[in-house]
Amino acid sequence: MKKVLGKIILVAVTIIAALAMLYPTYKAYNLENIQKDFVRRAKAAKTSADSLAIMESFKKQYGESLQSAKNSQLKLGLDLRGGMYVTLEIDVARLIEETASKEQIDDIFEAVMEKTKEQAKNTEEDVIDMFLKNFDKIARPKGKSLISYFDFGNIRDLSDEKIVEKLRKDQDEAIDQALEVLRQRIDKYGVAEPNIQKQGSARIIMELPGVSNVGEMRNLLQTTARLEFKLVKNNKQIVEYFNRIDKFLANKSARLGSVTETTADTTIAAETAMTEETKADTTAAADTTAMASADTTKKADTTDPYAGLPEKEAQEKYLADHPFTRLFTTYFFPPQKNAQPQPVYYASSQFPEGEYMFKVLEDSIPKFNEIMNRPEIKAMMPADLSIAFEANPDKRYEEQGIRVFDFHSLKSEAELTGDVITDAMATYDPTNNLPMVTMAMNSDGSERWSKITGANLQKRIAVVLDERVYSAPTVQSKITGGNSQITGMANAEEAHLLEIVLKAGALKAPVQIIEERIVGPSLGEDSIRNGFTAAIIAAIAVVLFMFFYYGNGGLVADFAVVLNISLLFGVLASLGGTLTLPGIAGIILTLGMAVDANVLIYERIREELARGRSMKSAIDDGFNKALSAILDSNITTFITGLILYYFGSGTIQGFALTLMVGIIGTLFTAIVVSRAIIEIIMSRGATHFGFGQKKVVSNN
Amino acid sequence: MQFFGKTNIDFVSKRNTWVIFSVSIIAIGLIFAFIFPPKFGIDFTGGSEVAVAFSENINTNDIRSAISEAGIKNAEIKSFGEANQYLIRVSELGDVQVTIQNALEKIPNNKVTILKVDKIGAKIGGEMRLQAYLAVFLSIIAMLIYIGFRFEFVFGLGAIVALVHDVFFVISIILIFNGLGIMDLEINQSIVAAILTVVGYSINDTVIIFDRVRENRVSHKGIHLMKLFNLSVNETLSRTINTVLTVVITLVVLLTFGGPVLQGFSFTMLVGILVGTYSSIFIASNFVIFYNEKIKKIDLESGWAAEKAKAAKV
Repeated sequence: MKKVLGKIILVAVTIIAALAMLYPTYKAYNLENIQKDFVRRAKAAKTSADSLAIMESFKKQYGESLQSAKNSQLKLGLDLRGGMYVTLEIDVARLIEETASKEQIDDIFEAVMEKTKEQAKNTEEDVIDMFLKNFDKIARPKGKSLISYFDFGNIRDLSDEKIVEKLRKDQDEAIDQALEVLRQRIDKYGVAEPNIQKQGSARIIMELPGVSNVGEMRNLLQTTARLEFKLVKNNKQIVEYFNRIDKFLANKSARLGSVTETTADTTIAAETAMTEETKADTTAAADTTAMASADTTKKADTTDPYAGLPEKEAQEKYLADHPFTRLFTTYFFPPQKNAQPQPVYYASSQFPEGEYMFKVLEDSIPKFNEIMNRPEIKAMMPADLSIAFEANPDKRYEEQGIRVFDFHSLKSEAELTGDVITDAMATYDPTNNLPMVTMAMNSDGSERWSKITGANLQKRIAVVLDERVYSAPTVQSKITGGNSQITGMANAEEAHLLEIVLKAGALKAPVQIIEERIVGPSLGEDSIRNGFTAAIIAAIAVVLFMFFYYGNGGLVADFAVVLNISLLFGVLASLGGTLTLPGIAGIILTLGMAVDANVLIYERIREELARGRSMKSAIDDGFNKALSAILDSNITTFITGLILYYFGSGTIQGFALTLMVGIIGTLFTAIVVSRAIIEIIMSRGATHFGFGQKKVVSNN
Repeated sequence: MQFFGKTNIDFVSKRNTWVIFSVSIIAIGLIFAFIFPPKFGIDFTGGSEVAVAFSENINTNDIRSAISEAGIKNAEIKSFGEANQYLIRVSELGDVQVTIQNALEKIPNNKVTILKVDKIGAKIGGEMRLQAYLAVFLSIIAMLIYIGFRFEFVFGLGAIVALVHDVFFVISIILIFNGLGIMDLEINQSIVAAILTVVGYSINDTVIIFDRVRENRVSHKGIHLMKLFNLSVNETLSRTINTVLTVVITLVVLLTFGGPVLQGFSFTMLVGILVGTYSSIFIASNFVIFYNEKIKKIDLESGWAAEKAKAAKV
């Protein structure tokens, strides 16, 4: 009995493991149905504010559990859920061309480039390697070296090796830059669960589920990023504008007699979270941009309409009166040197002149944008200003797990565009060893830059790429030579990102779409339905066949196959694999192939029985002797699966993956699980087990 | 239930017939390749493919005239799975699907939906083609190494001959079916995936038969080579048929219900699995006999005649 107990546990554990791995998928499916319901209600809502409120309530109620279920759910591939798959490639040849000094380019260089471009069209080889080979062949015999064509002012003792090194670095940076730009754009466009990754040294592959407006998306992917320098105008004017929005919205909801705005609780929670964090953050206090510890300074204000009210009521009234400004936190920098920024409340309409700062929780951004995009609010916006968010969340908060973004009011018209930048480099400040970025400009840019910096001393200028702010340094002095230094980065990584962003002006390596696949939602649904139908019918057919042919043994095999398929789904889900249509084909094929192992075993058992062996020894022999054949047949298929996974692209990999996981599952369920089940049954004193063998053994 | 009891089919005597059969199919395939050049999918050639569905009946001529008015000439239009679903293929890249959609929307009283779009640059297409060749080649090499470990030289050679036979046979069938217009089959990634899977799968039958040959050679010492093969194939026949049957069932289901996207894949696999089984019974063993007779110059035939005469007497 003890021997059998182990086997029972083994079978039970396998079943539980399969179910546990599948549970998140089931849960996510349920929650997504609830979400669909909320979306339907949100779409039916009268105002954009209402629909946002409905979606926020979903997020509050189910957001976290949906997220965690989704993380370990079996994801559907693009061919099933619909969407866009794109491969982009950086034009490295163009990059080389742009990097060469314009004045030096001659016929020889052009010949080299032409050959390189021609080859680049057809082969996979590294473009820089190809360029160098062609250069050796064409230009070197004519007495040219790379130094004849490339001139990097800031590199000493320029040699051919250093030029090659620089070109490679440029290529790396060009792809990182494209990656950063694309990430921000996709994020801004609002694609749910995009997958963007680098492939090799010059390609980016993107999976964008649910994208239907393809033309727009292609434009988004292929337009070159625009780098601009804009003056930061976080001033009294914009704060007054925010205050006007508050009044406008509060009046409107008062007139309607009902609260149409979001229930306040989410934002209160957000605000207290933020202020508490600030309190806790003692180290940040030393920093110039740190926020002051939140105090109740608003009580000191003489015009405070909330004076005398109990704190809770005052807070509630404040939130109701400030439907817009309660979404973010405003700070004011007092004019004294090294003064701490003070939180600003919109309780009075009197705001001092000076520098302000705005921080908003990521969760409040949709609401913020929704209000800002209303036509009546847009109309109130000061004409020469525009709002831009920082590209990345505030590092200090991110460390604590809260995503807070700064946003700025910028002068709409750019002071300077990025094409004047000739180079940028992340480095360390020799005086204090802190990360910084140096930036060089061409002569025209330098001249204008000196005027701009001269006129805006102690003011902030934002580095804006694609309407996202990457840095907003304060001008310390008039910069005349065109070489600027930007300091204040939190770490080297941030400095490197800024370097890449600044180079958007200097590096001109456009990306091209070299592969594009779009699956419409209707085909995706059809494919799911077809795949599902085929799988069910195939499963029923195989199960019936096995039962009729091998009797009880067939039932055990059927159980093993069903378990195998469940394990296959479960393992795919926990490996983070995606289910594609060829993947479903792989599963159906596994259905057919998995019974192969059982067929081998049972045929062997039948043979042994026909030789007159006892039931028990026939079963033992059947399993043992069939093992090598089972291994053979599965190993060879596994090898081809591996090759397919390595060479195939996209959906084919989905097929290879299910094939391989299915094979491992087959070996386990057929050899271990079905044997355990048969032995458990036999252990209860049975002397016979039906493998569909003839009842009477004929001996001739 | 049992389809086959103890069978005693003579698989080896008519071996030349089977070889002629296989060679002729492959030869016809080759001829077809010249008459109707193999069609590669855009995966391998580059180009654009747009699948559309119409709400009402329409024929290819209407579609062609609608899109050629919009400036898209030389489009290849064929049916895509279900009724009123079409696949439009053009060599241009760029915003073709927008042009096509706009053009088709002008057709009155017929709503058009874009099902899918594939656009492959020529360079990527070339790379994929290269990778596909490489993958098929590598998988055969991998099988060769595996078999090298498992069997002695002649048997390994027999298995590889059967394998290469399978690949050529399947491609020939694709070419013939496509050429005769029975089915619209082009060589693309999923066909290559199917062929690779066939390579991995069909070797099994051969391995299992040869395994049994090895076992029987020990247990029936001094047995005539042809008798040995017949015995082994017969003993494993039930297993061979049954496993292939389950896979064939699933593939037929996939072909019938799996939808247009999987059609080429399922068909190729189906043919491949059947051919793989056929070759492991009729080609692999017979190659070993052929090798012994023609290369090693062993006279098997006279001994075999004596064996058969002996069997007849009993």
